[in-house]
Amino acid sequence: MLSPAANETLEIGIDIGRLPIAVQTGDPEYLRILEHRFARFQCNPAAAVARLELTVTEPPISNGGDDELKVERTGTQWTIRRGDFAAQWNPTERRGQVRSLPFHYALDSVLRIVHSLVLAESGEGFLLHSASAIRNGRAFLFSGVSGAGKTTISRLAPADATLLSDEISYVRLLGERYCAFGTPFAGDLGVSGENVMAPLHAIYFLNKGAHNRVSPVSPAAAVSALLRNVLFFAQDERLVGRVFQTACEFVSRVPVFELTFRPDEEVWNLIR
Amino acid sequence: MSEKYIKPSRDIAARMLDDEMIVMSVRDSAVYSLNATASVIWGAADGSTPLREIVASKVVPQFDVEPEIAYQDALDLVEALAREGILVVADHPIKQQDSA
Amino acid sequence: MSSLLQAVNEKAVRLGIPLSVHLDVTYRCNERCVHCYLDHDDNGELTFDEIHGLLQQMADAGVFYLTLSGGEPLLRNDLFAIIQRARELTFSVKLKTNAILIKEMEAAMIRDLGVEKVQISIYSHRPEVHDAITKVKGSLDRSLDAIRFLVSQGLKVAMAHVIMSQNRLDYPGVQALAAELGAECTIDPTITPHINGDRGLLKLNMSRENLSHVMHDPAVLGGDPAKFCAPPLPATDDDLDALPCSAGHSACYISPYGDVFPCVQFPLPSGNIRAQKFIDIWKDSPQLKEVRSIRMRDLPVCSGCAHVAGCSRCPGLAYMEGNMRGPSTADCEKSYAKTGIPSPNMIRLGLAGGSGR
Repeated sequence: MLSPAANETLEIGIDIGRLPIAVQTGDPEYLRILEHRFARFQCNPAAAVARLELTVTEPPISNGGDDELKVERTGTQWTIRRGDFAAQWNPTERRGQVRSLPFHYALDSVLRIVHSLVLAESGEGFLLHSASAIRNGRAFLFSGVSGAGKTTISRLAPADATLLSDEISYVRLLGERYCAFGTPFAGDLGVSGENVMAPLHAIYFLNKGAHNRVSPVSPAAAVSALLRNVLFFAQDERLVGRVFQTACEFVSRVPVFELTFRPDEEVWNLIR
Repeated sequence: MSEKYIKPSRDIAARMLDDEMIVMSVRDSAVYSLNATASVIWGAADGSTPLREIVASKVVPQFDVEPEIAYQDALDLVEALAREGILVVADHPIKQQDSA
Repeated sequence: MSSLLQAVNEKAVRLGIPLSVHLDVTYRCNERCVHCYLDHDDNGELTFDEIHGLLQQMADAGVFYLTLSGGEPLLRNDLFAIIQRARELTFSVKLKTNAILIKEMEAAMIRDLGVEKVQISIYSHRPEVHDAITKVKGSLDRSLDAIRFLVSQGLKVAMAHVIMSQNRLDYPGVQALAAELGAECTIDPTITPHINGDRGLLKLNMSRENLSHVMHDPAVLGGDPAKFCAPPLPATDDDLDALPCSAGHSACYISPYGDVFPCVQFPLPSGNIRAQKFIDIWKDSPQLKEVRSIRMRDLPVCSGCAHVAGCSRCPGLAYMEGNMRGPSTADCEKSYAKTGIPSPNMIRLGLAGGSGR
């Protein structure tokens, strides 16, 4: 590969959930890392519906002491900050800028947020704190807050279940059906990476208990549980309203259950 | 004679321990000890100050040595360190190396 | 150890310079090893900014060797930023990880950052045994793949193998695997108590009979049993004037919450870097000063033991047993396993036959 001229912008396309985003940077080392990181999700940047420009910078970058992610909106512009990066996102222009160290972690966060905002706006779906797997051509989601059991149930998965993620799932309406998409985003177990999708068969909200049991959940409780686990940054009343509507729509179409389980493999017998 | 420019290699670890500089090559874990004079030269090796100037401004005053002898010794030193792979020696200023 | 390295260590001890620091950047982990001595919650880890500042303070204090570990350090998404900053400050960086998150890209990044060595825990060459210990299916395969990626990048890899009851047969297989992959292999035949003091983990230790077998194996001893397992020679004045170990003298430990201990295995709270500067803790902490004052001759029971010169006695294990000047029964067991000669401590505890029961 020829080295680029000093000011040449280097670019890749990253397609997650059929939402291609072009990512450009002036730093060839950084680009190499990104090409590797997003290898299975690469697409032609010309097909992109949004664009992010990445600049490499040295610390200190922003918050000055705080590692917590901060997402705020002023006017049309969203500002996203964490200890290791600072970013802006303009939803109308579908353009953003990211200043960070030359590792992929900042871009991972920004992509999750940008996808969340775009899906919230269109009402087509959301990102969810859940593990997801495909079995028998059907996608299943296992949702819950930290400690609920997403990592545990991922660890227990049998060989015939393709795990899409142990932490972040991507849900989007395709035609009439909600589908789960693989993403490059993994949780602590490092499960991610399959660029596949399948129609969503059921979603389970996790509970640890003495016996393995699937119980029904009322629509109101389902919407409530969903909203607790959706990746969202409730800074915008209108957008919050849209997410609520999306959650209601979702619950009316996808079966929702509570899954109580012991940490052993037998729980997967209930998931078919 | 052309100017020489020096800069520590990227793949090293280094720390002053009292009056000596401990240098380790991270690739093969070889460890070196630089005495007081060598440590001063190492500490000033920024890739843009010529060696002659480093010796004249830092070594000669601090160690009260003959400038020409000091420079010759410094040349021998940097060439030896370059052979070990822990110091970069060039006839032109050495640019900042990219970090990963 | 080369004579230069020995001289460097001796100088650091003499001048009271903290040459080595072990910094755990998180206690969170993606494995749940049965014998782990930590709790895996996040109780307010040091932020990137705090670690950034700490690295500068440590460099200024003369720290050269920096070991980064946890929990699982790769769970911090600023780990590479931390390593990058440490390398800019020319630390010699060693990374301890379970490596299940290390694939080709991470191995290349670790290599590019100039990490000196990566240490990975391997509990068996057999997946069913290793995975039963880590509680993560597929973890052995992932760790071994990571070792292959790291070695292919030219990095030095050490396989750390802890022997406990459930994997006691497997260390020859692990050693063979290490040789095959081009990694070093270190063997540790004891389980440490939980950092909170709970000694329940110790029941995972292998039996005394197994320990004896292991401690007679040249592959474990690193030499001829005739030499290592011989009855100990009488202690000299030098032996009694010796330091118990480098903890507090040229090395210390920092937790993800900024707590300073003499060693990860010696959890004596000696200060917190959120409240004080690192150098002030190192120099003035009453606890570190107390640790520094101890020589082998100051140990009431051990100074009179036949094994005093050659014992592997860890002051931290002694501290966790109740007395930093007392015996470490785990090390008594090792000396006994090697030589067949029980220490006064073992006799007093009724752990071995001997007079005066």
